[in-house]
Amino acid sequence: MGGVQSGAAFVFAPLTSFNSWWGTLNAQSQQIRDLRAENENLQLQVRIAENERARVDEMNALLKVSSVGEYAIVPAEVIAVGPAQDFSWTVTIDAGRDDGVEPDMTVINGQGLVGRVLKAFATTSTVVLIVDASSAVGGRIATTEEIGIVSGTGRQDSLDFQLLDPLAEVRSGDALVTFGSKGGRPYAPGLPIGEVVEVTGTAGQLTRVATVRPFAKVSALSIVGVVVQPPRTDPRDTLVPGPGAVVSPPAPSSEPTSGIEVEQPATPAPEVALE
Amino acid sequence: MIWRQGLLILGVVFVADVLQATVLSRLGIPAATPDLLVVAVVALALALGPTEGAIAGFLAGALVDISPPSDTPLGVNSLVYLVIGFVTGFVIHPRDRTVWVSMGLVGLSTAGAALATAAIDALLGSPRVIWSEVPTVVLASALYGVLLAPLVIPAVAWLAARVAPAPPAELRLPPRITDMS
Repeated sequence: MGGVQSGAAFVFAPLTSFNSWWGTLNAQSQQIRDLRAENENLQLQVRIAENERARVDEMNALLKVSSVGEYAIVPAEVIAVGPAQDFSWTVTIDAGRDDGVEPDMTVINGQGLVGRVLKAFATTSTVVLIVDASSAVGGRIATTEEIGIVSGTGRQDSLDFQLLDPLAEVRSGDALVTFGSKGGRPYAPGLPIGEVVEVTGTAGQLTRVATVRPFAKVSALSIVGVVVQPPRTDPRDTLVPGPGAVVSPPAPSSEPTSGIEVEQPATPAPEVALE
Repeated sequence: MIWRQGLLILGVVFVADVLQATVLSRLGIPAATPDLLVVAVVALALALGPTEGAIAGFLAGALVDISPPSDTPLGVNSLVYLVIGFVTGFVIHPRDRTVWVSMGLVGLSTAGAALATAAIDALLGSPRVIWSEVPTVVLASALYGVLLAPLVIPAVAWLAARVAPAPPAELRLPPRITDMS
């Protein structure tokens, strides 16, 4: 009898163990589903964290500029951009009259000058960027007293710099800062504008124009600051990015998070010099 | 009937304007911004007819001109989009509209809108128009328009059928242009 039983047990083993097999399969597939869901959730959180970190970096760069230069700023975020079809470079930011923003205030980000407020509404404002063809900013070559007019060309990566003194020396690699308007409006003094990448015309020529690449990447703006109170004293050249940032032009443009790239060379530079 | 069509036009145009300013313009797409407004106007004109298309075009252009961050003269886009809305609603008989014809209409409309606004802006003395970049902008705008068309035209046609069902086609169609010869 025992032999028959063990034989029967052997024959029907697949059927009797089916229950436990089915249970394991169910539990495992449930586990796989749980883990998948958890994985997706974690991946989402990582992506959110990356995004948050990028925003924090940008905010840090902006705060650095505003604290070093002693500008009082109202931070804002770009919420809408004008279409490229009409060749204008205007954006909408989410700060307006209620936040103390008024027309003709300077707009900056962590890299430098971005533009000026054109119109201020209750909770939003329209900002015209420095690369817009209607924009003209008084600029000064850092470390010198040479001044000129930086006008937008309508192209996102170039500005025209026309020196007031046609005999003044200007070389590619020179950084430009804002000269500053009366009362800090529309442009507060000492803000980095960009660096000279090409000089056309020779010294003494009547129209001597240098091409300037703006420090701020205007096509990918997110967090900006509106200067509501210009500094009491001109910060002069303290905000000009370190030599590393000026010498290697491709670095900030190739990296999407240029905010970190521009700031980093400023700190290790003294150590390199000491060694 | 009329207020339903008006509601449809306002809704589509408003949503398109907000999407264009907050999403499409910020994607950093090279050369031009996908002109969702023009595609929406063409889609409305194809779904409702030339008069409604012209009204949609005028409203869409006015909305583009007044919604921040626009800093262009008022009325330029209204004029251009109005003409586009009327012409695209009129030019091809509904019986002859294949998918390719509709996409071609959208491509021509977006290219025409980019070219016409640049020309009118330049005539009005805008310092911004860069003529050397106009061909690139026009071609890119047409390409993006054609890519948007298969998404927008069926969506608007579906909405139109739901919100503002048309009377029997034969009552409102103009005679075929080929019949008149």
